[in-house]
Amino acid sequence: MFFRSAVGALCAGLIASSAVAAERIEFMFPAPVQGKLSREMQKLVKEFNASQSDVEVVGVFTGSYDETKVKSQAAAEAGKPPAVVLMSANFATELAMNDLIVPMEQLAGDTDLGAMMEEFWPAVRPNAHFAGKVYSIPFQNSTPILYYNKEHFKEAGIEMAPETWAEWVDAAKKLAKPDGERWGIMMPSNYDYNGWLVQALTMANGGQFYNPVYPGEIYYDHASTQGALKFWRDFAHQHKVMPTGVTDSKQVSTAFFSGKASMIVLSTGALSFVRENAKFDYDVAFMPRNIRNSVPIGGASLVSFKGTSDAQKKAAWSFISWLTSAEKIGHWSRFTGYFAPRQTAYDLPEMKKFVAENPDALRAVEQLAYAGPWIATYNTVAVRKAVEDEMQALLSDPELTYRTAAARAQENADKVLAPYAEQTALSLQ
Amino acid sequence: MRPELKQWAAPGALLAATMCAVVFLWSTPFLWMLVASFRPDSFGGLGMASLFPDFVPTLKSYRYAIEDGDWPLWFLNSAILVTGTLAVQLVTISLAGYAFARISFPGKEALFYLFLLQLMLAPPVLIVPNLTTLVHLGLYDTLIGVMAPYWGSAFGTFLMRQTFRTIPKDFEEAAIIDGATWWQVLRHVLLPLSLPGLTAFSIVSVVYHWNEFLWPLMVINDPDKMVLTVGLVSFAQGAEGASDWGLIAAGTLFIMAPLFIAFTAFQRQFVNSFMSSGVK
Repeated sequence: MFFRSAVGALCAGLIASSAVAAERIEFMFPAPVQGKLSREMQKLVKEFNASQSDVEVVGVFTGSYDETKVKSQAAAEAGKPPAVVLMSANFATELAMNDLIVPMEQLAGDTDLGAMMEEFWPAVRPNAHFAGKVYSIPFQNSTPILYYNKEHFKEAGIEMAPETWAEWVDAAKKLAKPDGERWGIMMPSNYDYNGWLVQALTMANGGQFYNPVYPGEIYYDHASTQGALKFWRDFAHQHKVMPTGVTDSKQVSTAFFSGKASMIVLSTGALSFVRENAKFDYDVAFMPRNIRNSVPIGGASLVSFKGTSDAQKKAAWSFISWLTSAEKIGHWSRFTGYFAPRQTAYDLPEMKKFVAENPDALRAVEQLAYAGPWIATYNTVAVRKAVEDEMQALLSDPELTYRTAAARAQENADKVLAPYAEQTALSLQ
Repeated sequence: MRPELKQWAAPGALLAATMCAVVFLWSTPFLWMLVASFRPDSFGGLGMASLFPDFVPTLKSYRYAIEDGDWPLWFLNSAILVTGTLAVQLVTISLAGYAFARISFPGKEALFYLFLLQLMLAPPVLIVPNLTTLVHLGLYDTLIGVMAPYWGSAFGTFLMRQTFRTIPKDFEEAAIIDGATWWQVLRHVLLPLSLPGLTAFSIVSVVYHWNEFLWPLMVINDPDKMVLTVGLVSFAQGAEGASDWGLIAAGTLFIMAPLFIAFTAFQRQFVNSFMSSGVK
């Protein structure tokens, strides 16, 4: 009896130790919306770990998008490359150029990546590719979107959400009350958000913000960007329907919730948050157009750093494909307000039920037909900052002209891009 | 006599009033946080910026903060971190301070200034080299790894050197005549006389490491080793949405509570340690 139970215990021990031998990988993720999301993400990680015994994922919280980049890059350089990182979607280009992340072909094994990417919305694909290869798998994506207070609209006698820039200005003027008692429109102008919205306005103004096929060119000193800068600036200084100076995204949403702003532009990633907290009748609409409807993609994708073992790569892929499955990606979309980048997520019954109950969740998806990739260049953050500094100056200084601002932004961005341009396009031997 | 007294009283009252105003101004952020943590509508609203409570206070934010965070674990990790850092620092800065203050050797001044150069380096610059060292030492993702780079403190060494130099040499010479070795001199003569300096350094060190965010975020991956600051951010950060100010305020009050209580309890000693230096 004793002997038998001892053997049994030994066998159990062996089984347990083979279970312990599961490949352990780290998954670094930021919490770009509310902290609630980081807890939900830990829950997903636990669910994955419980679902199988080959891979054990450790969820590592990494702060903001920018801190995530610093942490994962520093860890990789120090010799501890993370197997899976949820990274701002437009950083993949730069990380791939610097040879820090691996193409997904190296992870995917037998999976047909081409067919898999076909399941994602066309608008999210360009940011996932670099030099013809897939470097990231989209997970949580967004577009800028117009949120508006329907009660204010009724009060001001406005029937519909503005569709063109002219209607937008007109509506903002009707909605605003003097001396900042109520603002017609507010948009975040803090770093990151700022550049994204300048790009959105530039695209709606008919232009292209950067060269999506060559990461060494940016189009700041061009008519379409100049017009975008002027249009945003005029809300504050000419029409006086937007506060002057730099306003961050939290001020914008707070003003909206408290009825101090009638229209706001925010990411669709904030949608669940707005739905939970707006105590009035609100709706969401497309970003208004001047020449065409067009918005950039935002959000984050999964990447894998160079230098991991084959076993880790395999483990990383099993987690990535689980997390980006139609079912999980749809769950995440419903939880956060980000749209699901995988089109097939919208065919599932839970999702159909959800969008029927919350039609505002479909607006960003409909807008995808007009969406394009997010700025991704050599040294993206510094290039983006060149135009953000000027936009912030325009909002603060009524004397500054959009021409000077655009020219300065171009000059500074070109300086940042110069080393890459000289190594590549200008190196003619 | 009386008119004279009144003449003195008026500027005194004015001074007191000014001081009160300054105190109030300085404590505004703290007062706002206290008010915000009890506010029912904590996502903002018109009254959000108000410093004066205009509502029925609620403990909702505290309840969420307690439910959302693994506070006992985070407190424990932060406590291990600050005590572990300080304990080693006190030994190294005393020894190094003693060497620079009392022992003469060639190149001492040059070495000392080279040492002080450490103060000029911005910590973020050192993230990658320090991480690389930690990986080689096998200390990546450990609390010791978070502490290690701070074990040699240029500021502490400088402070202890200055403190030791204010102590008259006669004290040591008397001890040496009685047959004391250098470490006995340090242990029984110099250190007891340097307590204010050591206390001042301890306060600075504890407060700095208690509140530090970036470096622990870089080193620690294991959720079981998360410290308070990173923990707070993990459940209270918002970039694309808005922040729950009530929750953030409640969490921040939790984090500062131990330091706040310690400071209130030992206020006199703390102030004295900064006021006096060495032996009068």
